[in-house]
Amino acid sequence: MSERYEIEIRGLVKRYSPQVIVGPISFDVRPGEFFSLLGPSGCGKTTTLRCIAGFESLSEGSIRLAGARLDDKPPHRRDVGLVFQNYALFPHLSVFDNIAFGLRLRRVAKPEMRERVARALQLVELAGLGERFPAQLSGGQQQRVAIARSLVLEPQILMFDEPLSNLDLKLRIQMRDELRSLQRRLGKTAIYVTHDQTEALALSDRIAVLSHGHIEQIGTPAEIYEQPATAFVAEFIGSSNLFPARIVGHGAPGTIVETEAGLRLCCAGNGETANGERHGIAVLLRPERVQVHAPGNGATGPNRFPGHIAEVTYLGEDLHLGLALDCGQKLRAALKNANAARAFAAMQPVEIVVDPGDIRILSR
Amino acid sequence: MSIQATSASLAAEPRPTYGAKARPVWALLASPYALFLLVLLIVPFANVAFFSVHSYSPTKILLPELTFDNYRKLFDLYYLRLFGRTLRLGLVTTIVCVLLGYPVAYFLARARPRVLTIGLFLLIMPLMVSTVIRVFGWIVILGRKGLVNQALVALGLEPVKLLYTETAVVIGLVNIFLPFMVLPLMASIERIPPSLEEAAQNLGANWLQTFARVILPLSVPGLISGCLLVYSISISAFVTPALLGNSRERMAAQQIYDEVLVSFNWPSASSLALALVALTLVLMFWALFATRRTGRRERAS
Repeated sequence: MSERYEIEIRGLVKRYSPQVIVGPISFDVRPGEFFSLLGPSGCGKTTTLRCIAGFESLSEGSIRLAGARLDDKPPHRRDVGLVFQNYALFPHLSVFDNIAFGLRLRRVAKPEMRERVARALQLVELAGLGERFPAQLSGGQQQRVAIARSLVLEPQILMFDEPLSNLDLKLRIQMRDELRSLQRRLGKTAIYVTHDQTEALALSDRIAVLSHGHIEQIGTPAEIYEQPATAFVAEFIGSSNLFPARIVGHGAPGTIVETEAGLRLCCAGNGETANGERHGIAVLLRPERVQVHAPGNGATGPNRFPGHIAEVTYLGEDLHLGLALDCGQKLRAALKNANAARAFAAMQPVEIVVDPGDIRILSR
Repeated sequence: MSIQATSASLAAEPRPTYGAKARPVWALLASPYALFLLVLLIVPFANVAFFSVHSYSPTKILLPELTFDNYRKLFDLYYLRLFGRTLRLGLVTTIVCVLLGYPVAYFLARARPRVLTIGLFLLIMPLMVSTVIRVFGWIVILGRKGLVNQALVALGLEPVKLLYTETAVVIGLVNIFLPFMVLPLMASIERIPPSLEEAAQNLGANWLQTFARVILPLSVPGLISGCLLVYSISISAFVTPALLGNSRERMAAQQIYDEVLVSFNWPSASSLALALVALTLVLMFWALFATRRTGRRERAS
């Protein structure tokens, strides 16, 4: 028997005009999973979310919630909670009335309503603020009210449309962690839309990376980061050294590839991309996996290259180095600002070492 | 200590533009219009007030003796009915304007820019035609052999008397004053983010519930300004009721006109005019007070 999915999206297509098309998009979300749609603006992630909520109609495809067809229901009968980017709190209603809004529509009896609202307020740590109006709350508090307003209805799934983008950095990280622990605690299936890769990596069980209206890759945060399927995913998630290259031979530990600038790298595996392509490939090397040593330090391995530091960007916690190899290849490296790295300065000759297992082969 | 005191006084300093230095500037900017109002409104108004407390004489217009008869007279059945009719027609006009104008205002507030431009043009266009011409248009439509009755007869129905009735007056007033309802309403609805409607739907509200619980309460400021505008100009309307109504069922402005230019009873006309102004003002202050109270709660910080 196949695995049961909470949400099944099959061939979702939204046509705005002959030129502007989102999809086809297909993905499944498991019960209790935190699933993120990640991509730059205009990639179709918000459209997908709005299709699930019912604010946009599908041009093609289907959406199923717990096995039942969802896309033919009007938005107010869908039972999917949505937390809006700007929170969309009702300014004329108190916090209590905002949260009770959906309960009143469902004609929940007054004592039960009061109890459920109080519980929801407690859940988002806003107990005692029920009498305030949205304008009297901070951004973070408004965010919590918006979450409580959706949670109190106990929807089958909870969706978030870039909920943290209006908060400042510190609050964003705090709310991010709270959101994650809340979702874990309630075991609620969540779909989260964001353009912030750090947010997606930190929160998600699985991520779908979108670009130009289609899905580039679906995977766990580690899969997306360590084994990006395409150059777009590699570029979008984290910073990267991504060079067009060709396969020039096979060695003992794997494959020899040569970048266009003439850097010969020995990498693990047979040199095929995820799709089995051997031509039109690119090599990916994450900056934090580039090892930088003083020359003659006795490092071993097949990938050792002489070069020098072209520039040093001081970021406090981290140092970003621009490296120029003697073969002409330029490379970026990210180091912790500690130990030997603290002595690095521009124009200093260094030896660059790369582990063959840290190199990925991608289709261009 | 002194540094603390300095920073505290800096923090407490109000924004400089509204300080004492700025005051002569706004006085200067407002003075031309203030002068205009003084000469052309306040002074004549004082004169009207002066007339209203003197008694009438057919030969001299005014006798130099103080009296409140003119005001006492307003409680005669004739005048009470006049006021009643005026306020009732104003109310009916306002209600019809709300019912017809709200959907238009909502549509325009949510329309794409190009549609909005065309819609606004169509809405304002009637205001570019003079009231008299427009009212004559209605005479053609509502008359005994007008378009409406021709249509009724063609359908095999009895013709109805429309022209020179209160119905005709309301139709005429609604036609002229609808933009004054739609524009403030539209401005109010425009300020309601569409995401609030979506949030309401997401929480389980159908369109009627969304309207009743989100759109309507949030558009109350616009609704009140619209109603206030339409009501206050309706109850002082003259041309439309004079041309579309009949002289037995007249509105207050027609009565004032008659007393000024036909019977030359200026003191009586003055008391009537002041009573009309007082009614409008009371209404206005009440409405402003009501909107401020709801507005304060939403903006409170």
